[in-house]
Amino acid sequence: MTTLPHPSASGGLPAGMRERVLAASWQARPAGQPEPEPAEISPAEAFRRAADALDGLLATLGDDDWLVPVLRDLDVQGLVGHLIGVEEDVHRCLSGDPGVADTDHVEASQPVAARQAGRRAHQTRAEWRRAVGRTLDLVRARAGPPPGLASPPELASPSGVASTPELALHGMRLSLDTLLVVRAFELWTHENDIRQAAGLPLAVPDPSALRLMTGLAAPALPLGAARTGLGPPVHVHLVLTGPGGGTWDVVLGEGGRDPASVRIVTGTVGFCRLVANRVAPADLDLDITGDRGRAASVLAAAAALALD
Amino acid sequence: MGGPDALLAARLAAGDDHALVEIFDRLAPVVYGAALRVLGEGAAAQDVVQDVFVDLWSHPGRYDPEAGPLRSFLTVLARHRAVDLVRSELRRIARQERHFRMAPGHPPPSPGDEVVAWEAASLVRDAVQHLPGAQRRVVELAYFQGLTCREVALAAGIPEGTAKSRLRLALAKLETMLDRQLLESS
Repeated sequence: MTTLPHPSASGGLPAGMRERVLAASWQARPAGQPEPEPAEISPAEAFRRAADALDGLLATLGDDDWLVPVLRDLDVQGLVGHLIGVEEDVHRCLSGDPGVADTDHVEASQPVAARQAGRRAHQTRAEWRRAVGRTLDLVRARAGPPPGLASPPELASPSGVASTPELALHGMRLSLDTLLVVRAFELWTHENDIRQAAGLPLAVPDPSALRLMTGLAAPALPLGAARTGLGPPVHVHLVLTGPGGGTWDVVLGEGGRDPASVRIVTGTVGFCRLVANRVAPADLDLDITGDRGRAASVLAAAAALALD
Repeated sequence: MGGPDALLAARLAAGDDHALVEIFDRLAPVVYGAALRVLGEGAAAQDVVQDVFVDLWSHPGRYDPEAGPLRSFLTVLARHRAVDLVRSELRRIARQERHFRMAPGHPPPSPGDEVVAWEAASLVRDAVQHLPGAQRRVVELAYFQGLTCREVALAAGIPEGTAKSRLRLALAKLETMLDRQLLESS
């Protein structure tokens, strides 16, 4: 729990009442825990759902839609090619190939994206779908079937998202669970890239998947800060509202004895789009308490987490 | 993000402990005052305040910002909880009185119990005066004289079934009157 605001207006109340009531409240429900808490799903399930959602969108596109420019110099087909390339690197990563440990996320997939040109859209889609299936197969094989069961179960609970890094991919060192949430995050981001290019409404992951995504991104803010060079330490009280949200206390930056404090309240989906570098902080509905300049640095750190 | 109360509600749902602290510091004195006006007794009013805030924190979705300000929601909740306390205290007193009548050797209630009982009972006695005569009679016999339904029927000269139905009707009216009286007084 964080350092709570100093009592400011408990006048007229019996002594000790404030502390007693707040202690009873935290006992009833720990600070930081959203209410209602969405149903827990595994990172593998979140990845599978994100893949299904993107596949569902691709299934509705006509041949011309696949040629609509989406991102960088990629049309829809090229972007799906990028995803095939990333999935192939994931396969190599899961097979223990160190060759993908430090390659660039975009550059590494470029040849696969380029080779989609001239292919039929359904071929590209089928190849990507197979690649996703192969990822899920490798994940299941890695988890291994429990003794006495014929078929492998779903992966462990998402509490393992912050578990020990064991994999190396595209400059990241991360656990299997974290990798799968990162992948779900990317699929959702690119699904919305395509939706935006096609003039379709944006998709929102279900609360269970969102909870995994926010649970990945919020504690990773120091990593983004390291990329942007945040400077003096700042204690961030981050409140993400709406389904899949929660509250996190994170310290960014290093050095100094008394970090400045900033409270940032914003919507869960907007924050995830910021982390994907798809919106600017100015586009978000924000409630900020504390130094606004420091808050802007924190938001820049969030956007620096994007893989693109 | 909506008005200030909508933002607070969203923060509570997100598990923002700072939001609850802010709400407590701003509204606890009002909530405590509302409970105190109904109960007239500090310890019980503190329990009500704790119930109200723990409930708000545990189930933030029960507060709908579109239905009204948070301040009103919490004070009404406090009054209802306080009225519930009075009712349960009355039931306890009635049970105790009946028990004393049946077992005279039982130790008497403590002075604290008597004070609370007196305050609660005085509210009810006032409300009983507004009941129609026939209903007032059965309530007085059942609750203030501690008679059973059969004894009430005999004393009032009516069938036992009639005594029961009059008692049920009277209690329903009393609850309505008690709520109105307590809300008006707070």
